Amino acid sequence: MDEVEQLKAKKLEAKHVEAEKAKSYSFRTYCEVLDKVEQTRGTKAKQALFVELLHDIQAHGSLNDAVLACRFVSEGAFNPTSGLTGRLGARSQGLWVSEYCEIDYETVFKPCRTATGSGSETIELLLTNMPQAIEKRAQTYGRPTWTLHNMDASFEMMAQAKKSEEKRALFFQWLDTLSPLEMKMALRMLGGGSLRIGFEARSLLQTLAMVSGASLEDIRYAHMVLGSVSETARFVFEERLGEASFTLFRPIAFMLASPVDSLDATPWASVRLEEKLDGIRCQAHATSDRVELFSRDLNPLTQTFPDVVDELATSQSILGSSFVVDGEVLAFDPESRTILPFLDLQKRLGVKKPSSKLIHDVPVIFVAYDLLVLDEDEAFSHPLKQRRSQLISLCEKGSIAYSRQFEVATTQQCQRAFEQALRHGNEGLMIKQTDSSYAFGQRSHHWQKLKEPEGALDTIIMYAHAGSGKRGGIYSDFTLGVSVENDDRFSESYIPIGKAYGGYTNAELRTLNQELKKLVVEKFGPTLSLRPGIVVELEFDSIQVNKRTKAGYTLRFPRFRSIRWDLGPEDVDTLNDVERLAQKKSSVQRPSMDSLSDKAPIILPNR
Amino acid sequence: MISSGGHGIFLKDFGLSLDNSHPEADVVFVSHAHADHLPRNRSCAAVCSAPTLAFMQKRGYKGDAYVLDWQTPTSLESIREYFGIPHGGQSTAKGLEKGPEKPSTRDATLTLYPAGHILGSAMILIESEDGALLYTGDVKSPASPATEGVVWPSNVDELIIEATFGLPIYKWRPTHEIQQDMLAFAKETLEAGETPLFLGYNLGKAQEILHLLEPMDHRKMIHGGGYPYCEVYQQAGISLGNVEPYDRAHCEGAILVGPTSVLASGFASNVERLRVAQCSGWAALASRRTQLNLDRGFALSDHLDFFELMDVCDALQPRTIHITHSPTPDVVAHFLEQRGHHAQFLNLTMEQEEELDG
Repeated sequence: MDEVEQLKAKKLEAKHVEAEKAKSYSFRTYCEVLDKVEQTRGTKAKQALFVELLHDIQAHGSLNDAVLACRFVSEGAFNPTSGLTGRLGARSQGLWVSEYCEIDYETVFKPCRTATGSGSETIELLLTNMPQAIEKRAQTYGRPTWTLHNMDASFEMMAQAKKSEEKRALFFQWLDTLSPLEMKMALRMLGGGSLRIGFEARSLLQTLAMVSGASLEDIRYAHMVLGSVSETARFVFEERLGEASFTLFRPIAFMLASPVDSLDATPWASVRLEEKLDGIRCQAHATSDRVELFSRDLNPLTQTFPDVVDELATSQSILGSSFVVDGEVLAFDPESRTILPFLDLQKRLGVKKPSSKLIHDVPVIFVAYDLLVLDEDEAFSHPLKQRRSQLISLCEKGSIAYSRQFEVATTQQCQRAFEQALRHGNEGLMIKQTDSSYAFGQRSHHWQKLKEPEGALDTIIMYAHAGSGKRGGIYSDFTLGVSVENDDRFSESYIPIGKAYGGYTNAELRTLNQELKKLVVEKFGPTLSLRPGIVVELEFDSIQVNKRTKAGYTLRFPRFRSIRWDLGPEDVDTLNDVERLAQKKSSVQRPSMDSLSDKAPIILPNR
Repeated sequence: MISSGGHGIFLKDFGLSLDNSHPEADVVFVSHAHADHLPRNRSCAAVCSAPTLAFMQKRGYKGDAYVLDWQTPTSLESIREYFGIPHGGQSTAKGLEKGPEKPSTRDATLTLYPAGHILGSAMILIESEDGALLYTGDVKSPASPATEGVVWPSNVDELIIEATFGLPIYKWRPTHEIQQDMLAFAKETLEAGETPLFLGYNLGKAQEILHLLEPMDHRKMIHGGGYPYCEVYQQAGISLGNVEPYDRAHCEGAILVGPTSVLASGFASNVERLRVAQCSGWAALASRRTQLNLDRGFALSDHLDFFELMDVCDALQPRTIHITHSPTPDVVAHFLEQRGHHAQFLNLTMEQEEELDG
């Protein structure tokens, strides 16, 4: 251990000791209330329980406990802007719990997890039931129980632990001293996923308004600029909601678009259109000494796109202003000035610190389309019209690429613009209301998207997989195949084309589960191999080339449109059909931005 | 000695079939009257308990069953005589078709033990020169309070036992504790001006629910499919309280009991506010509770939990344990072998016509 790490460990240890001394609310009581929330139906009744809990914490715990109570339930163990993550694999958890319960991981734990569909629930049940676990916990009986405060410190220690042995030691300490319910909740918090108690961030924000008497509007604003529910809670409990303001390098929740309701009902005079670009959404923060990029789920993208960071840093130095812009990162060939397909961009996604070769092979560009903050001006509260004129002037001066917005007068013109966007190789259109402010963190009707009509294929169910979480214990995920019966390249009859786990109703899923039983050929673990029998009309957003699959293609966002009980295996679409659909899309000749003059979807700097 | 397949278990040497009739069986033992255990042949020569016969008759059985009293050893030979089955042949075989000659069957002593699963549910002990074989059918130990109780024989060499809940994630709370929660749920619901609906299979579980809610003096309605069985319970001295058959016009404000399938029908759809609770071992899993969109799930099972299964096997110490009705027989066998038992899986693909609660 080097000096820095020693110091870190000491600091954490001190925090832990301090936590034990501090007056803090019981983690067990807290988890029991969460369990009650889970068993209670209806948002109002759930909120009432949480209001009661927060009052109780205010009476018997600290202010920080109230903040932690809000964080653990909505964000998990860590504040999303803290950069900490749990990083404890499901397999490690299973192996350690198996060791603790003295059962075999492969023979016993795994079938149990298949039956429950949830690792954390399996852990809770085994720790509750297995005599070995009960006995071990009994040996630590009488030790002080965990508080919210020292649980927080313990989560942080888990996140900081580098070696597997350190994590293991902490995990076994939890096993010895947490109740099975606490253990389940702690693991769900650590994973940062949902606690599955039907109490989401939106409900919590409303609860905060009930407890404090502050207006929901102010709480929502604070949530946007603080980027975190628990930070919002802190401002609420400290009674300084009015001070909540935007801070650079803390991402603002993105404004999202909803699918277009009705083109005919669109008030053309009060909207602007832009082509929907096929890249990844990105929020850029820039000051004189720092540039940070954030993805749609508020995670950092800075290391993934150092080339974008460099460009924006140059722009910032020209401008001399700090700014936050919303936009898209696209794969873009600077020679031909052509937008490259998403497929190319994919090679850069998830690659932190890309090699200079990869940067050279897949050049990218940042295209701004909205301005959120400019120096002291919180532009996000201005109407779109004003934001755009500020953005254009910023981009022109700073040599930043930006989207072209335009107006149409009729539905017909909109249709033509849509077809043009498809010819440009883009996804469709965005329709944005000119007088709307930036509606953070919500799917708003102020932004609507008009996308390429989805494709659909008649496919056969090849495999059924037992679901997890809410759908545990039933077959809810399906591998679907297309026919290659008369295809010389293959010896089999069907090959997989995609996996779908949605688009059906609960009643359809029940019927499907009954019908599946008649078609089972083989069962391996949670998966059933099926005889061809059930045809599903599968819809999807797009087809992508994927050399790693047998078919050579994958479908983006495949889901059930309908179960075609009227069709049989002989009616299934073929791989040739898939290839035809894909070719139709890739045959779009992507134009150079220069050739489009005033119709170009993006306006490039003259650098 | 034991052969199994698509028709339940067949003991060839004795011409005896255990739940579901084998084509070559002379006599069929029916452990209890749930559909997946009933013989397909509605007039076969059946051996069962008195309540099971009463239920079978309500479910369309036309034959002339031989009723065995509890814990009263009876020779198989005397049962054959009762049915007029000659030694070594079927009563229906008139010798018109020439087939391979049927080997003569052997005698055995049959004894029924109450299985605690539903009223009338029985285990059968088959004693012969080979030793004592116990077939449990579906069993709950400790017994469901709406049954005759459960009694285990002491001399078991071979055990055929069901392991529906054969994973250590299943461990039931004592029934009286679950009962308190059920009573509280019904009370809270009624006090809120809403109508409670308890989901449970029409035969067995529904009556157990009524029996557990009996301390609450409030009018109760049971689904029409379950009502006829209540009479048999009441005759057996199991009180079900003030119960009527489901009547749509007057069901609001009553405590309702019906099978899970009512959720997909228009059952009580005129009631403004319904609170639904499932009563099933499967309700122990969160996913089952959310799938049915329930207000509550009570893990009230009429089967052994995993640990009860282990305890029973340890107490009986049979030479061999044959596991049936288990989605996870490997796990059960693994634990039994760890405890020094010799266990194997008996694969029965029983035809399931009705969805049971578990």
